Amino acid sequence: MSSSVETPVNRRRHKNWRRRLTPYLFLAPNLLIFLTFIIWPALRGFYISFFDSIDGSNFEYVGTENYKAIFGDPTVAIIARNTAIFVVFYMVFSTLLSLTFAIILNEQRFGRGFFRAIVFLPVMLSPVVVGLIWNDFLDRKVGPLNAMLEAIGGGSPGWLVEPALGMTAAVFVGIWVHLGFYTIILLAGLQGIDRSLFEAAAIDGATRWQVIRQITLPLLKPTTLIIIILSTIHGFQSFDFIYTLTGGGPLGATTLIVQYIYERAFQSPIQYGLGSAAGVILFLIIFAFTALNFLVGRRRDAV
Amino acid sequence: MKINLRKSIAIGASLALTAGLSLVGNVAAQAAPLTPTAAQLAAWKGKEITYYFYQDSAAELDTTKKQIADFEKLTGAKVKLDVIPFTSLDTQLQARIAGGNTPDVARLNNPGFYHNVALPLEQYLGRNYVKEFLKGSTTQVTHPTTKKLVGVPYDLTINGPFINLDLFEKAGVPVPTSWTWPELIATAKKVQAANKSEYAFAIDKSGHRVSTAMSHMGAYMVDSKQRNVLRTSPFRAEKAIKMITDLYVADLAPRDLWIGTGTRYSSPTAVFLSGQLPVFFSGNWNVAGLSEGASAAKFRFAAVPNPSGLNGGGWPGGKFLMAFSASKTPDLAAFFVRFLANTEQMEEMCKAAFWMPTRGDLSESGINYPKRASDMKVFLADSAKTPSAAYGIQSVPTLTGPIYNKLRDLMTDVMAGKMTVKELVQTQITFIDQQLATLKK
Repeated sequence: MSSSVETPVNRRRHKNWRRRLTPYLFLAPNLLIFLTFIIWPALRGFYISFFDSIDGSNFEYVGTENYKAIFGDPTVAIIARNTAIFVVFYMVFSTLLSLTFAIILNEQRFGRGFFRAIVFLPVMLSPVVVGLIWNDFLDRKVGPLNAMLEAIGGGSPGWLVEPALGMTAAVFVGIWVHLGFYTIILLAGLQGIDRSLFEAAAIDGATRWQVIRQITLPLLKPTTLIIIILSTIHGFQSFDFIYTLTGGGPLGATTLIVQYIYERAFQSPIQYGLGSAAGVILFLIIFAFTALNFLVGRRRDAV
Repeated sequence: MKINLRKSIAIGASLALTAGLSLVGNVAAQAAPLTPTAAQLAAWKGKEITYYFYQDSAAELDTTKKQIADFEKLTGAKVKLDVIPFTSLDTQLQARIAGGNTPDVARLNNPGFYHNVALPLEQYLGRNYVKEFLKGSTTQVTHPTTKKLVGVPYDLTINGPFINLDLFEKAGVPVPTSWTWPELIATAKKVQAANKSEYAFAIDKSGHRVSTAMSHMGAYMVDSKQRNVLRTSPFRAEKAIKMITDLYVADLAPRDLWIGTGTRYSSPTAVFLSGQLPVFFSGNWNVAGLSEGASAAKFRFAAVPNPSGLNGGGWPGGKFLMAFSASKTPDLAAFFVRFLANTEQMEEMCKAAFWMPTRGDLSESGINYPKRASDMKVFLADSAKTPSAAYGIQSVPTLTGPIYNKLRDLMTDVMAGKMTVKELVQTQITFIDQQLATLKK
């Protein structure tokens, strides 16, 4: 009975409780979506990885057999190597190029909006469509790129039929699709740097390269770390544009781990459990790399 | 031009599993009138079913939409048409079934994947319903253990070549009326050289299509008793496969389309429609699409007979209709299947989209194709010449996809110089053994 009495203490407690609850209420809709469409399927995928199912309705418990099958599959080593090559090149060049573009765009005075829109435009395209368009563009015999190369005596490289060139094309198209996204994030980071530091450097007679090296890059480090983490995750997750660009070819040279998951889970003969187990392995790899990037970044900051 | 299908399709299809049986004897009398009872009409009014559909041509979609409108008028029910790209037909359907979002009815290419979730039709459409179709054509929609009809054959397909008539004419090469594979290749090269076209030949990136050439050389992969028969004549298979891979290696065929598309299916239809391809090996389902495309591109094309060797004819395939047991209105779903596959609707579709019918009555009466009748005549003639061994692989409907796809992927390795044709055939023999072993589990 006493709790219902409106004393100043009770009112304060009630107010505090409401204040604490408010942010969670704002977060609730997103959290609900996140739990329903990300966390629950992820947990379910982990569970399914211990079963075998050819139709998604009937499941037979097989313990760790799916994991053993993956590690015993000789193609997995090739796919792991492909994925590692893709991720390293994609991450390094995405980071370097987005940094370059962000710095250039940040200093741009003429046509700033136009150039930013141009850089960002590929992000707005469907990756599936991007893959198809580049597939046509890179065709060895009838593609416009080789037509241009031939016109200047550059021959007709088999972009989509030579394994090394296929990987090059996949990395290039991947960077082309996502570069605008990373550049915009870095641009936001650049604009957060105090302008007075640049003015002081100019007064001190610092060269442009010195400004970049000693002011811009160090202060942009937290944002760059985000780009490294994001591009690593995107690299591991790459599938849609590669599937329409090369289909994982030539000769499996651009078959990455997500395509392996897709083909095991959704192409005949269907093996949902095996696909899920591969998904769990991919999650662990991405988690490990992200944690490593994060820890290395933090340690450097601390030093 | 009225084409009598009985002697062509019926012979080819029935040879598969019913050698020696007369087709006419298997064809039942006309189906009962397609009129729902008053009770059915009352129960179906306002109900909705989903039709999972893919198209090979605009004509198929247009005709289907019209037939759905007729069905809705007849029953008072609604049909939601889900049009799916062919390339993700099975992927999407399997995901939908696993996710509890099974459509009521689907048009399928690989019905064997869905036998266990299909609606047995006989309980809704009667035991004799199966007799309305050509007997050999129902093999893939007969449940392997219950032996019940779980779908209907919707159209028959036969693989075969198309030629660009304009390129042939410019090269002064007559339209072939019969030829062998060496002659086909020599002709294609000659026409290419005369026209300086980009390529001489192209074939759909498909083990199913390549099986046609193997059949011509007398090589098969699985027989009607579910046995691996590739090991009995590997040299014949090597000959057929080498003939095709050599064309790709020599850049006489679009290598990018085969090697550069990884594990994806790809068709050189667009290359043919660009007018840069003298010979395109595909099948009758492309007649409507090519007709639409070639009219726009302003060139003439024609279907020509399959090359022959030890055997002639084409390679059989087909599309199927299946209702699913997860349907909330199974009787309505079954009735929709029956409606689409009845004489009137099937005849309409055959005429509009150049299909070959699966119904006994239409096979008997023939189809009056209003256009491209000469092309259909070629395919029908090849259907009749198709050897019974070509139907053997249909005895393992769940394995046809993996077996064809493995052949396709191994050919990629050969084209890229990663493997010899001899090694390909040996690898394929081992793979077929492994696949057949899964049937016994």
